[in-house]
Amino acid sequence: MRERGLYGTTSFGLISKLWSINWIFVLLLCTLAGIGYAALYSAAGGAAEPYAARHGLRFGFALILMLTIALIDIRIIARFSWVFYAVAIGLLAAVLRFGHVGKGAQRWIELGGLQLQPSELTKIALVMALAHWFHRASWERIGNPFFLILPAIAVAIPVALLLKQPNLGMALVTTLVGGAVFFAAGVRWWKFLLIITPIPMAVQYAYEYLHGYQRARIDSFLNPESDPLGSGYNIIQSKIALGSGGMWGKGFLQGTQGHLNFLPEKQTDFIFTMLGEEFGFVGSVLLLTLLGAIILGGMVMALRCRHQYGRLVALGISVNFSLYVFVNIAMVMGAIPVGGLPLPLVSHGGSAMLSIMIGFGILMSAYVHRDVEFSDGRNDS
Amino acid sequence: MPARRLGAADADSVPRVETVRLTRPDLDRRRALNRTHGRLVFASSVFALLFLVAIGRLSWVTVIAPRIPAPGDRPTTAFFTAPEPRDPELVAVPLAVPRGPRAMITDRNNEILAISLPTAALYANPRELVDPEDAARRLKAVLPRLDEAQVRARLSEPEKRFVYLARQITPREKLNINTLGIPGIYFENTERRRYPMGRAAAQVLGGVDVDGHGVAGIERFFDRRLAEDSTPIVLSLDVRIQAVVRDELIKAMESFRAIGGCGIVMDVRTGEIIAMVSLPDYDANHVGHATNEERFNRAVTGMYEPGSTFKLQTAAMALDYGTVQLWNEFNASQPIKIGRFTISDFEGKKRWLYFPEVLAYSSNIGAAHVAQTVGAERQRAWMRNMGMLNRISVEVPEAGLPIVQTAQAWKEIVTLTVAFGHGISVSPLHVARGTAAIANNGVRVRPTLLAMVPDMIPPDAERVMQQATSDTMRKLMRLVVTDGFGKTSEVPGYYPGGKTGTAEKTGRGGYQKKANVAAFTSVFPMHAPRYAVYMMLDEPKANASTYGYATAGWVIAPAAGRTIARIGPMLDMLPELTNAAKINASLAMPLQPTRPPNGVRSPPVAAVPPAAVKPGRTPPAVAARPAAPRPSPAMPAHTPRATPPTGAPATRDLRHEASQPPSTALLAAQYTAPSLVPAPNPNR
Repeated sequence: MRERGLYGTTSFGLISKLWSINWIFVLLLCTLAGIGYAALYSAAGGAAEPYAARHGLRFGFALILMLTIALIDIRIIARFSWVFYAVAIGLLAAVLRFGHVGKGAQRWIELGGLQLQPSELTKIALVMALAHWFHRASWERIGNPFFLILPAIAVAIPVALLLKQPNLGMALVTTLVGGAVFFAAGVRWWKFLLIITPIPMAVQYAYEYLHGYQRARIDSFLNPESDPLGSGYNIIQSKIALGSGGMWGKGFLQGTQGHLNFLPEKQTDFIFTMLGEEFGFVGSVLLLTLLGAIILGGMVMALRCRHQYGRLVALGISVNFSLYVFVNIAMVMGAIPVGGLPLPLVSHGGSAMLSIMIGFGILMSAYVHRDVEFSDGRNDS
Repeated sequence: MPARRLGAADADSVPRVETVRLTRPDLDRRRALNRTHGRLVFASSVFALLFLVAIGRLSWVTVIAPRIPAPGDRPTTAFFTAPEPRDPELVAVPLAVPRGPRAMITDRNNEILAISLPTAALYANPRELVDPEDAARRLKAVLPRLDEAQVRARLSEPEKRFVYLARQITPREKLNINTLGIPGIYFENTERRRYPMGRAAAQVLGGVDVDGHGVAGIERFFDRRLAEDSTPIVLSLDVRIQAVVRDELIKAMESFRAIGGCGIVMDVRTGEIIAMVSLPDYDANHVGHATNEERFNRAVTGMYEPGSTFKLQTAAMALDYGTVQLWNEFNASQPIKIGRFTISDFEGKKRWLYFPEVLAYSSNIGAAHVAQTVGAERQRAWMRNMGMLNRISVEVPEAGLPIVQTAQAWKEIVTLTVAFGHGISVSPLHVARGTAAIANNGVRVRPTLLAMVPDMIPPDAERVMQQATSDTMRKLMRLVVTDGFGKTSEVPGYYPGGKTGTAEKTGRGGYQKKANVAAFTSVFPMHAPRYAVYMMLDEPKANASTYGYATAGWVIAPAAGRTIARIGPMLDMLPELTNAAKINASLAMPLQPTRPPNGVRSPPVAAVPPAAVKPGRTPPAVAARPAAPRPSPAMPAHTPRATPPTGAPATRDLRHEASQPPSTALLAAQYTAPSLVPAPNPNR
């Protein structure tokens, strides 16, 4: 014991690793995926096909993947951070070149029959790469603006590629996730202000270059009633559905807005609305609480890590997840323009679930290996 | 067992300076970690705040201020397809639904009459089944409407890969079946045709079979159009009017224990059918369970002898050909015997009748005499012009062919019987259309079940008689209601006019004395005709309230009157009572008109054998008549050839001069106006 106490451990046994996995967190994830199964069952009009069955299968696979990743030493994962990043950027670039066009943008590529949306993985890879960078950062270096140039470029590359697709929502989320890592690493406030201040002007400029449908989304958000049959339709129907659920909801499989196809994209982006209609305010709050618990769990695990890489990775991944949640919920409640982000682990969709679960696997690995001695590249002995 | 903290002392160790090895990088790291810690807590707080905001927003949209659907939110076309994005790039995304839903059918006010809803069908692959017996038993448990033996038999056919078990599965049933977890049981996404109005207009709509194809009515007639183009079909029907007509018919049917009934409301100017009811009817949602009797659309398929309602045709025909004047009298004191038939009157006056009296008292003998003045050839030409000999091209496949005599067989006896609606069978819609044409200034329009664009000129409109004939006929139709057998249909303020008709049904070996078809064909308001209302009861039985009569005037005319009173306001017509005196005066028609003043030339009908028509009589002393019965006409002498030659124009001009001297010029102008189609002419 004394030896281990003094010199730390390179690694420890598989059983004790399994033991130290945060099983409560795993249970929360399973509950969320279960809710997703029920919602997709309802979205298909009371059938496992075509959504719910695949959802369950994917989650089972993703869960095993997550637990496997959780057992890999975080230091090994960290070592490959930039490799992942390079692969993700490569895939993102490949999408632009070979990708399938969907909804006015090139978003996914097919890999062995699997539709892959690399933008989801990119965010995880970006978090890892940034965490790796700041892991090595001493206090002074954080304060050095030149030290921030490379990570800034690391954020800018995927964002530029996403804008090129164009996938405005995802680019924004990626920027926010990257910014969160910068923030947690201890970059000074004023530097953020320096970045944020010119944004409104940039937005003004960017608006000119937006796709017609993107502009319509923003316009219809600002005044959804102006075009109730066009772009405002989604938001209005979503609000009607939520409102018709009332306090206790209409009951499972009883949501009329959803089942009569008033609700668009109910199996993906608007699944929260469907749940809201069927289970009401109470059900929605319970679901929000579950999501909040998962986010908070991720944050707490980040805090428990005793090395910078683990903290930053865990935080970045939690922020990524919470951005999914809040953007999606804000969208269906008509608080922000329709963004096209799914509700993680609930919506139908493979890429998002896979990337979320890979991310949670890394988060869990960081938690399992929270106390390992992790050389940070600074000469300390 | 987690790894111990690096740098921490063992629990049992005594702290010594050597065990705590703090270096500058260590301190750096600690500061970085601490700073990160603070930032993490900050980030967590931000997310906690976001969480609260989300809860607040959620309570706002669900509980505090839920959005109520506004009428504009839900276009009917958005039922099945999310609105098409305006951006052409978005349109390229293939729709999830491979086949478009069957188009809706609505009434003229866009009330949904038929709509397709998505549903599921239950099927099985018997090859994948493990235990058919068990599967059938368990399926029966959650889906009680299944026939267990049949399901077992179907599941036990291992050579098959696909067997239907049930259709129209609700989501809840689907859930229950999925819960069973039987392998080899699948669902197929289908659609279900729903008729929200149920029995209203069931025969018009028809219905669909299990595969969603129309089996009758509009659904069959427009089967391909409904399947291929998802824009709704808008019918001319008004479901409110339809409901009223159906309601009144049901009440009449129950009161008089009739075996069936039929009602039609038609816009006389456009031909749009506002209501078409046939009883007994069925729930269009369950067309498969309907009996043949229920599926039978009496309005278009049923061929009935029109009976006395046809006297309107006879009267209009004779007036238009100019063979009869209003003041002519006809001998109804004795039955007409021709061959082995005898034509007699029901409760007749047994005296000579003026022309208006023939209609008002519905004299068969009088009508026969009137028809005699026209002759078989011209009568048949008239009937062809009125469309009585052909199928009506209305938009249901059930439209039937009238049963009529061929031209060769259209002998005198046919002429005499057709005059009062026997020896010819037409559908109620034929009668309604004929009545509408008479009232609609003599212009016949094509009946249609499709809504027309407002102010659209009706297609296929054709002038079939002179304006003057229509004007006179409107007064005569009104007279039937004010002074004749149609009194029971009077509705103050709506000025209906029409004609009753009670025809004995033909059965084995001739007419059945006890089985009638009682009909009332009418138009309202008579001073400015808008709607034709036809109502009919099949085999009504007399009851105490009718003093033992089962005739149209007693059993169906009152129902028609009540119908007019109820539907008038729905058709944007309020009772016109302020100008009642003026309107009544404009429609006035004496039962026994006097011959116009001297100086007018004698009408040509004088040429008709005096035994049948007595021209130019001065006001009669009717009461004295029975004492000295006139000689009965010798029928063989009254061959059609004996009627005046078909030099129509001269005859007509004379008639106008004679009957309505002041407006001769105007009427002549109307008649000869190039835009008008000439009146029927047998030589055409």
